[in-house]
Amino acid sequence: MGSYLVKRLAASLLTAILSSIAVFLIVRAVPGDVVAQMLGQSGGSGSQAEEALRRFFGLNEPLYVQYLDWLGGVLRGDLGQSWVRGQPVAEIVFKAFTVTLQLGLMTLAFATIIGVPLGLIAGLFEGRRVDAAIQAFNILGLSAPVFWLGLILLIAVSSLFAWSPPLIYRTPFQNLSDNLSTLLLPMLSLGLLQAAAYSQFTRQCVVGAFSEDYVRTALAKGLPMRVVFAKHILRNIMIALVTFMGLILIQILGGVVVIESLFALPGLGRLLITAIETRDYPVVQGALLMVVFSALIVNLLVDMLYHVIDPRVRVDA
Amino acid sequence: MSTEAPQQMQSNTNLPGAGRSRGAARRILTFMRREPSFALGLALTGLILSIALFPGLYSRVSPTDIDTAASLQAPSAAHWFGTDELGRDIYSRAIHGTRVTLSIVAGSMVISAFFGGMLGVIAGFAGRLTDMVSGRAIDVVLSFPPIILGVVISGVLGPSITNLVLALSIVYIPVFFRIARSGAITETSRTYVEAARSVGLTGRAILFRHILRNVMPLIMLQYMILFPLVLQIQAALGFLGLGVQPPTPDWGAILEEGKDYILFAPWISLFPGLFIMVSALSVTLIGRGLQKRMNR
Repeated sequence: MGSYLVKRLAASLLTAILSSIAVFLIVRAVPGDVVAQMLGQSGGSGSQAEEALRRFFGLNEPLYVQYLDWLGGVLRGDLGQSWVRGQPVAEIVFKAFTVTLQLGLMTLAFATIIGVPLGLIAGLFEGRRVDAAIQAFNILGLSAPVFWLGLILLIAVSSLFAWSPPLIYRTPFQNLSDNLSTLLLPMLSLGLLQAAAYSQFTRQCVVGAFSEDYVRTALAKGLPMRVVFAKHILRNIMIALVTFMGLILIQILGGVVVIESLFALPGLGRLLITAIETRDYPVVQGALLMVVFSALIVNLLVDMLYHVIDPRVRVDA
Repeated sequence: MSTEAPQQMQSNTNLPGAGRSRGAARRILTFMRREPSFALGLALTGLILSIALFPGLYSRVSPTDIDTAASLQAPSAAHWFGTDELGRDIYSRAIHGTRVTLSIVAGSMVISAFFGGMLGVIAGFAGRLTDMVSGRAIDVVLSFPPIILGVVISGVLGPSITNLVLALSIVYIPVFFRIARSGAITETSRTYVEAARSVGLTGRAILFRHILRNVMPLIMLQYMILFPLVLQIQAALGFLGLGVQPPTPDWGAILEEGKDYILFAPWISLFPGLFIMVSALSVTLIGRGLQKRMNR
């Protein structure tokens, strides 16, 4: 366990550093940077003003100096100041992250509660009508665009129940019922897709388990189906199901970008998009870094969990 | 292409060349009868392809003609899917958008499969340093959730079709890389590679003539599996205004245009979304059928 942990952590750290360089470079690949844009808008393109602004934003330094400056700040928890809002980036990003995290966890819970039981039933009744119906749900759920599902849900609730979610986002501490009703539709539209994915994966696990020797043996020695299912199959596929949760969480982390824009939620995804639109480099970097690090941490946790549950797993490359 | 893949797999596992074309056709027919969902997928894909190739057959109305007198009309005999705020015919826009949307998705994925597949096969075959360096680079791409990467690349570089294709092709390079790499590793350990080496074939010849050929079906299957996902990302980027720009009809872009009218004119967004869903569905059905066939 010890040496595995060290190796895995080292690999994650390397990826984290490389990813932070990628984040830094992506933002600087913008054609026409913020200075050119500002000067273009105010009309003056004198080299003196340009020089002064560049120095003010720290853009006059060579790239690697800018990167190391930024990295140093990141390690101290200082992500710089937003160029547009003038607030500390760390504060803005953290606030947005709490919204995304809440939505993400709610979606994960929803996907698990719906997806896993459906997958278990489908796998247990492989080839029967229930299985076909659940598989149809899975395929349809995976084919429908998330934001489109969101729009449909929006139309459906407003025309069927004459209800529409509150327009202004409130934190759960300000007003819990408003908070939950704002997040309900985003959760459903993201969650149905992930529930379909989870259900399909669970079904595959169950079907796979039925062709294993241990299940055949258990059934052959006369154990009743429900005992085999509860004691043998469930226990064995549990590892896979838990690790799949991590994968889903990362998918959700990506999916929120679209869904937050659709439902006007002040989360990380919308922050990222508005910051890109306004060329607010420090915020783009901060938000991206937060997303990438969350994904890395989820991956790391899943791998370690996997290792704890099943010690046969070894570091791969 | 879709009908050839199972046949190719067959020839790898069964006796090669025995009554190939007639036997293969019959096998495909039997398979379709046993897997109606595969047949449905093929039929739908055929329909969608014909729409993409000959949109004029399905709609004579121009997708960009503006008619402000007929703005935001509900579906009717004149406008099957209704009209948008500029009075453009949504049916025509959805039909003409088919080629735009699907060619962007298909094209980006060819680029993705080419670079990811090539790099993966080389990494798996060469091993050691090549494998390690490319593996790390791929890890970095993989550390961004798919849609985020697309949003950032097309957002930062500015919305245009070129940037969209670039963004979409980078997103799934890692998946193709991994499939090709593991395929190449398996193939490299086979006896025929050793045999080829011992008769004096160079590494490059073995790689391109033998290993690549055997890894190809895996890459093609992966293409089918990823297609719906890339379509969804393409549509999402269009929906965020980062994809194809108006007035060119593109499913995601039409959805974006309809977003503000969702409660009074839901048809604008409804139908292009349906097109996306049916396309994703049909490719998924084919992909599943092929997967079942290959796993047998």
